[in-house]
Amino acid sequence: MNTIVMDDVARGVTDVAPPALSIRNLDFWYGTNHALKGISLDFPERQVTGMIGPSGCGKSTLLRILNRMYDLYPGQRATGEVMFDGRNIIAPGMDVNVLRSRIGMVFQKPTPFPMSIYDNIAFGVRLHERLSRSDMDQRVEDVLKRVALWPEVRDRLGASAAALSGGQQQRLCIARTIATRPEVILLDEPTSALDPISTARIEELLDELKRDFSIAIVTHNLQQAARCADRVAFFYMGELVEVDTADQMFTAPHKKQTQDYITGRFG
Amino acid sequence: MSAQNPTSTQAMTPASPPVAPATGGWQRGGAQAIRRRITDRAVGVACIVATVVVVYLLFSILWTLIVRGGAGLSLPTFTHSTAAPGTGGGLANAIVGSLEQTGLAALIGTPLGMMAGVYLSEFSCDGRIVSLVRFVSDMMLSVPSILVGLFVYLIFVEPAGHFSGWAGMFALTILFIPVVVRTTEDMLRLVPRAMREAAYALGAPSWRVILSVCLRAARGGIMTGVLLALARISGETAPLLFTSLGNLNWSTSLNAPMASLPVTIYQYAGSAYDDWVQMAWTGALLITAAVLATSILARWWLLRNGSVK
Repeated sequence: MNTIVMDDVARGVTDVAPPALSIRNLDFWYGTNHALKGISLDFPERQVTGMIGPSGCGKSTLLRILNRMYDLYPGQRATGEVMFDGRNIIAPGMDVNVLRSRIGMVFQKPTPFPMSIYDNIAFGVRLHERLSRSDMDQRVEDVLKRVALWPEVRDRLGASAAALSGGQQQRLCIARTIATRPEVILLDEPTSALDPISTARIEELLDELKRDFSIAIVTHNLQQAARCADRVAFFYMGELVEVDTADQMFTAPHKKQTQDYITGRFG
Repeated sequence: MSAQNPTSTQAMTPASPPVAPATGGWQRGGAQAIRRRITDRAVGVACIVATVVVVYLLFSILWTLIVRGGAGLSLPTFTHSTAAPGTGGGLANAIVGSLEQTGLAALIGTPLGMMAGVYLSEFSCDGRIVSLVRFVSDMMLSVPSILVGLFVYLIFVEPAGHFSGWAGMFALTILFIPVVVRTTEDMLRLVPRAMREAAYALGAPSWRVILSVCLRAARGGIMTGVLLALARISGETAPLLFTSLGNLNWSTSLNAPMASLPVTIYQYAGSAYDDWVQMAWTGALLITAAVLATSILARWWLLRNGSVK
């Protein structure tokens, strides 16, 4: 299995940009539960990599390894190699706070902090940079424009973020994430709690964001993966079954399991 | 994904047992339906009656306090100290004593209690220490307050050789802390995990996540806990009897025995003099009004700051 996966990865790498993140032989345990087995996968720079698979297949787990989210929970551990900017980020000695400012994450449910719209964005920036008041104002305005939220909130930056709609909150969370100027953005089912219109706006946003960021997105929505992702990886039972361009995956996947999954025969 | 796959779900569902065809039309259920309707009404009425009884009791207490306490309310109540029966006098020394002792207890108890609550909720890696601390704190919640008074008497008053405001404040702090610990921990546990993770995902260190996000999200609940604790200690009499004792004269020194509203009420309400009994009613009204005012002020402050940049 591994060698075939490596071939797939290799084929992917030759025709696309160099990887922003590169995973080799990654294993992950929740206590004694072996959740990811020998994963090797590249995330090309400035592309959207979609991760699909049935519930519990390990795709969210993989995403949470990439910014060391699993550190928060004792008993979870990873072995192998995740190379980012020349360093193995799962090795001991990594400054996870710096790492997380370079690899941002957006979650399934919008999670505005209990503060104003302005402070929601400034919070992350202040952790890593010292900006003057006017620079901070500029940064907040820039990222809100970037996520197309500026016209809706420009007059009420001081209002509580909790008053925004779900779709607006999720765009605020994306703005908050890009405000710390990460290189990679991880999205864990970012639209599964949103209505179709908000979902469409987030998907449009992804297209726009990939000009500057490398994006990894976990999704349960195959249409979404087909629409947004340049490359798609299919996971099943903690293993990476197949990875290829979105076109190839959804028209002529190489593996029978992939074929069965995307045609809805299981999952 | 299973929704996309009707054939396989059908295949996996065992054949359902045959169900009798629907009967009865609008009379479906018969006697059972009528019984259900009656139960529904009865429970509804019982709930309303219970609410009315509770609200009536509350308002009757409040009303009695306002009528009987309000009658003795005058400027000298606030400007004069307690005096011998029949010579006028007010409650100034008791008011100041109460403010000093409860205020200091709250000032010391709030940060201590909050920090302990944060520890219990956020640093629970060592399960045994955490459950020990939680157990002790919960025990303290239910300890009769007179025992706390005796405890402080033994370790504080007796060695010092005299009653003092410090001792009273100390006893009140002991009663104050566990309430704050409990509510802080409970409220922090209500902060969604996703919100913590989102803060960590921005590269925030733990202390920032706790201070800027978790405590902020929980501040309404924690504030309620602090007020609850404040309300509790501002009415405590027993722990003060053994510690600050009471003082008939004007005194703001915590080193000396100190007057307080609850102790004064306790002494006056049981006395044979009409003007003292009247003064006890007034003191009770003052405590109630103060607790109510603090609570309203705090809520107003929270609301105002909830939507300000």
